[in-house]
Amino acid sequence: MPRLDANRLILIGYAAALIASTVYVVGEAVLAGTGEVALAPAGPIETPSIPSESGVFRREKKALAYEKSKDKPSTRLLADYYSRRAFPGAPPSIPHQIFDERRDGKSCLACHTDGEYVPFLKAYAPVVPHPEMLNCRQCHVAGKQDQPVITATNFVMEKPPSIHGAAMPGAPPPIPHTLAMRNNCLACHAGPSAPKEIRTTHPERVNCRQCHAAVREMDQPKEEFPR
Amino acid sequence: MNRRELIQQMALSAAVAAARGVFPEITFAAPAVEDAALRGASWKKTPCRFCGVGCGLLVAIQDNRAVAVKGDPASSVNKGLCCVKGYHSVLALYGKDRLTTAQVRRNGKLVTVPMAEALDLIASKMKETIAKTGKDSVAIYGSGQWTIPDGYVASKFFKGCLGTNNVEANARLCMATAVSGFLSSFGLDEPMGCYEDIDHADAFILWGNNMAEMHPVLFSRMLDRRLANPEVKIIDVATRSTRTSMAADRSILFRPQSDLAIANAICYEIIRNGWHNKAFLDRHVSLHQGKTNIGYGLEDNFVFEDQAKDLTFDAYKKMLEDYTPAKAERISGVPAKDIQYLAWLYADPARKVTSFWCMGPNQHSRGTWMNNLIYNIHLLTGKIASPGNNPFSLTGQPSACGTVREVGTLTNRLPHGVVTSAEDRKLAAEIWGVPAERIPAKPTFHTVEMFRALDRGQIRFLWIQVTNPMVSMPKLRRYRDAAKKEDRFIVVSDVYPTPTTEIADVILPSAMWIEREGMFGNSERRTQHFEQMLKPPGEAMSDTWQLIEVARRMGFGKQFPWKPENHIEEIWKEYGRFHAGAKHNMASYSDLRSRPGVMWPYVNGKETKWRYNARYDPAAKGDSFDFYGKPDHKAWLWFRPYEPAAEEPDKNYPFWLNTGRVLEHWHTGSMTRRIPVLNRAMPHSYVELHPEDAKALGIRDGDRVKLTSRRGSLVLPASIDKRGRPARGAVFVPFFDESMLINELTLDSFCPISKEPDYKKCAIKVEKA
Repeated sequence: MPRLDANRLILIGYAAALIASTVYVVGEAVLAGTGEVALAPAGPIETPSIPSESGVFRREKKALAYEKSKDKPSTRLLADYYSRRAFPGAPPSIPHQIFDERRDGKSCLACHTDGEYVPFLKAYAPVVPHPEMLNCRQCHVAGKQDQPVITATNFVMEKPPSIHGAAMPGAPPPIPHTLAMRNNCLACHAGPSAPKEIRTTHPERVNCRQCHAAVREMDQPKEEFPR
Repeated sequence: MNRRELIQQMALSAAVAAARGVFPEITFAAPAVEDAALRGASWKKTPCRFCGVGCGLLVAIQDNRAVAVKGDPASSVNKGLCCVKGYHSVLALYGKDRLTTAQVRRNGKLVTVPMAEALDLIASKMKETIAKTGKDSVAIYGSGQWTIPDGYVASKFFKGCLGTNNVEANARLCMATAVSGFLSSFGLDEPMGCYEDIDHADAFILWGNNMAEMHPVLFSRMLDRRLANPEVKIIDVATRSTRTSMAADRSILFRPQSDLAIANAICYEIIRNGWHNKAFLDRHVSLHQGKTNIGYGLEDNFVFEDQAKDLTFDAYKKMLEDYTPAKAERISGVPAKDIQYLAWLYADPARKVTSFWCMGPNQHSRGTWMNNLIYNIHLLTGKIASPGNNPFSLTGQPSACGTVREVGTLTNRLPHGVVTSAEDRKLAAEIWGVPAERIPAKPTFHTVEMFRALDRGQIRFLWIQVTNPMVSMPKLRRYRDAAKKEDRFIVVSDVYPTPTTEIADVILPSAMWIEREGMFGNSERRTQHFEQMLKPPGEAMSDTWQLIEVARRMGFGKQFPWKPENHIEEIWKEYGRFHAGAKHNMASYSDLRSRPGVMWPYVNGKETKWRYNARYDPAAKGDSFDFYGKPDHKAWLWFRPYEPAAEEPDKNYPFWLNTGRVLEHWHTGSMTRRIPVLNRAMPHSYVELHPEDAKALGIRDGDRVKLTSRRGSLVLPASIDKRGRPARGAVFVPFFDESMLINELTLDSFCPISKEPDYKKCAIKVEKA
């Protein structure tokens, strides 16, 4: 009968325990790795930007400047605003001379970032609500060409949404347009270039959608709610 | 424009700017237009019907109709600003399907009956139930939307007259944790600070609180503070990216439940750097620990009682070693440097810091702990009970504070104190004119357990007022099935048909808000009165008067002797006796009528803005702070560890489900969905997914998605990067939509101390439908 000394037994015991615990740990790890792909990944969670929610705050720091501005408000009217568009919500065409055919983005933003006064056009430039999109002329084309072009069309422009949608006298009017690329309210509704009819009296209240409901944002039910 | 016109215009705009100030008194619409439309209307003041902020409104009344709303410039809460719900609030009175008559179920069908007949039936059914199965088999389930007189009459009727503690309210589902947090840390409920803290603070830390949508007016006040003072910082600490995160200077995302670890790590870091306020701690704070591994309340008849043990500062410090920023990072996913940044921000001696929270830390299976932990941070730094330095617990309902917390419409509470105290029972019995032994010394059922008791058959008669539990209860199916059982009699008082009126045996039409007189109490201890401005439609009757009518039919005329024309004033006078004294004195009826709200303690004609601070609070003794709610006159700092949620994602249910609200709708939507502009802006519910999770599951925006938990399943449209973005592995669903009942999926686990359910965490699986 082979002699088994006590030390050896202890050693075997330790080895068995070690193997068992290794199997357990590895097994747990393998199990944890399977089928749990949707569990939150380890490590820091990054903060995203949600354009439809962040846009409203984007020109927040301009709000007080607008409030205190001594700029003479432009005489631009809502009719001028729609005259540059094929239909409400369409990208406006460019009503002025294009200064550099090939360079894009940055040269437009020189005037359209903050709506500075442009002396030789004698106008305040409208502010772009989506300055992060630099390929401007992908959507905005020249409005007037030197050469005559085919203009005959049966297309009829839809009536612009009413700005008189307030539910009661004095109630905040709802937002009658969609918000895609137009979630930066102060860009179009504040400052000297804002069309007179839609210029806000209170640019310093920056959380616009606290009071103005976006009624065109979601698919709308045909009927009102009552059960 | 000539030079003269230009100068005139400049002067005008300067004057306008000066008048608006930091938080301007806002008048938006051109006054001329408004006046023309509203000539002949009279403007009357009221608190808003919706959330706990308690904005002051002015409502224009013309020919017995509410025709317009504006913010009350005289209200210090909102100074003339409202949110979209407030501006359109009066439209909620005019939904086409308003309940105007009483209905009684006969042979399964609801039949219209005269109001008096319905009230007779309720009284006889209550008598019969008590005779057959005892007084503890009848119950009332009310609301944080109860006016103060509603709640007071309910408590007096059930606790004082019938002799049962079966009085609960839906605030158990939202504010019970705030109550137990305040009671365990300070011995008295409700915040020490007030909204004016916003105008003083230099840093705002928001814990799981999407203020931009849920408390928009306060959020705007905070944005104003930052606009005028660009050094002011707003930090959003949350599990989901929202409009609030977008406006914040920094957004810190953590894994659900791990806020416990983060808050402890902030405390660890403050002490490690020696940033704690030693003088303040020595004089004003005592240290304690409670029980751990405290359960989740998932089983019927769950009982838990916390027990405090004293702790030394060194022992506390040692216990915090489990929560170094590095260890907390592993639990929470928040980088250690962000935790260190938060600790620095809280501790920076040059900054005043206000913390805000609402349902994130409250609807939390360790909610009381989380409330304690936020207090700990403010206690360690001594930044508490002074202008700009406060932990501020926000509320969701217009009178969760005023009615449920102050009147004490919970099973364990009385208008002053608790049912377990002989002294408090004696005071109540004396004021109510009933024998002291009538009020039982033992609490019965908290809300979840009350519905479980309905299921088990211990409760046979349940009267539900101003709330919609068949949308809002967690693990809904069990409690709906319970209500439908044979031999259960359910009375529902409401203004519109809801899923809760569907289970009713009697429906009573209620007079809503400004169709009757009442008071609400908001988050900052402000009581606000509103007069009756309109005649209620049809036979609609105030909840207060419904209760009085039934109580009289049951032989308690002596306790309810009031006349219709002045009963609110009489009730207020009687109720005021419970709170007499410097710690909680309430304003007189005439003060409430004439002022846009009054904050208690209201002593010698003066409101108390900051409690426990001898400079402001007449009840505080000495020359600095006096936390007089506790017998040792100290605030209690509690060590509270991290423990996991009741149900966490696993292989079969790999996603977290979080539920909550949206800006446009208020709670279960029974009012706001009947306001066309709000309904159009947010017509139905949705499930928010992280874009990468959606991609992995082949789900695109608008696709139908099936969510399944161990309790039920539901199909909703997907919403990707719209209102919010949950973290990976989590989804968010609003609960306002009765056609997509997310509470079929939620779990009825609750904080063992507060008994408030955790609506923010359970495990689900997500599939493309």
